[in-house]
Order: sequence, then structure tokens, then C-alpha cells
Amino acid sequence: MAALVASIYRGISYRGAEGQWAWILHRASGLGIVLFLYMHIVSIFIAAIGPGPYEWVHATLYTSPPAKVLEVFLLFGVLYHAFNGMRIIIIDFFPALGQYQRTIVRIELALVVIVLVPAAIITLRGII
Amino acid sequence: MATSSSRPYQGKISYGAPNHERKIWLFMRLTGLVMFITVVFHLLYMHMVVGVENITFDNIDARWSGPAGVFWRLFDASLLFIGMAHGMNGARFSINDYVHNKILNFLLTAAVFGLGLLLILLGTVAIVLGAGGLGNLFQRLMG
Repeated sequence: MAALVASIYRGISYRGAEGQWAWILHRASGLGIVLFLYMHIVSIFIAAIGPGPYEWVHATLYTSPPAKVLEVFLLFGVLYHAFNGMRIIIIDFFPALGQYQRTIVRIELALVVIVLVPAAIITLRGII
Repeated sequence: MATSSSRPYQGKISYGAPNHERKIWLFMRLTGLVMFITVVFHLLYMHMVVGVENITFDNIDARWSGPAGVFWRLFDASLLFIGMAHGMNGARFSINDYVHNKILNFLLTAAVFGLGLLLILLGTVAIVLGAGGLGNLFQRLMG
């Protein structure tokens, strides 16, 4: 456990700038998406049981105000993981582009913001 | 690793014989490319066009019904299988990076894959039987 904490601390404190933060966010968003996916599959399985149990899940888990805030985190997590994954694939298959990696990270973040901001506004419309 | 040059590698990468982890590396890239289309579509369609508050039992039932329902069930099955395979493997990468105790590493990996395979089974049951399908099946079996 101490090794895990030390390892995560090193990962955060290492001054690797854009590439390092992109990597940490990719890990964090990936693990977050897996946890969400586990819950998402259970809720769809509950829909296979019947309308009663599912409507309860839908009302309490997915449409409450705290769920709306978490939904924005989900939107960010998936969009970031998707665009950053594309950056990883591009640099993996065209290693020469590695010299522009800072610029590519910035372009990627701009694309995430362009998609995320309207999506977040639409999501939070009802509660703010 | 300390190097005298800050220039990134620009030459040709020489590949050795294919091995297990490289196949997984390629698998992560290919599934990632597919999901860049399918998952981003699923996310934006369900959250922006349909709206989470409208994903009711009837909505799921309607989407999975009729000839178009066959397509959406196959689409959702692809999200389930590809997403879970990519996700469980990504979790394995993180566990291998951070947990070096062999027993703990094995237990965590087994937990991720054990729970993941169980959920793939539950998801498949839901997609095959449809909304309310499992409840109807139980009622029929009970008479």
C-alpha cells in the first residue's frame, strides 16, 4: 500500500508536463469508465428483470441532481479517453510526430473542450 | 532514463518476433479505434439526443424491438464485448504498473476479470432476452 501511494505520488510529482498529465488522465479516466461500465451493465440487467425495478434505478441512480453532476464527469472521462486514445494511436503508428507531442496534446484538449462544453451545458440545464 | 538528446526517436522501429503482449497492444489500438466511433456515438446520442431522463423502460423496449431492434441489440452487444475487453485489459495494465506484490497482483487481476466476465454474462442475458425478458421468462417457468 505504501509502495502504491509512493508510486502514485511519483507519477503526479514528476514534472513531465503535457505528456505526463495526458498519461495520468488517461489512466484515471479509463479506470473511472470501467467502474461506471460495471454499474451500467447491472442497471441494464435490472431492465431485463422488469419495469418496476428498472424505473427505481432510473429515478434514483440516473436522474437525481448529484447524478447530473457525475454525468458531466462521465462525459469528460469518455471524451478525453477517446481523443487521448486517438493521440496515442497516431503517435504509436507515426513515431516521427513525437516531436510535436505538446502541440498534439493541446489540439486534443481543445477538441475535448469544444465537444464537452455544449454537452455539459445541455446536461446541467435542468439543475442550474 | 537519462539521454543526452531531447530529440524524440524518428527512425524505423525494428520489430522482433510477435509476442503475446504485442498482440494485446495491437488489440487495444484496434478496439480503441472502433470505440472512438461507436462509444462516442452511443454517449452523445443517449445523453444529447435521447436524454438520460428519457431512457425509461419503455424506451429501452422500443429501441430493442422490431427489425431495427436487431441492429441495436448487435450494436449494444459490440459495446458490451469490446468495451469490457478493452476496459478489463486497461485495468490489468494499471494493476501491473502499481501492484508488485505477486499475490495481491493476482487477486486484483482475478477480481477485475472475474467480476467483468460475470457482468458480460449478465449484459448478454439482458440483450438476448430484451427489456423485461428475464422477468417474463421466470413468470412462464413458475406457471
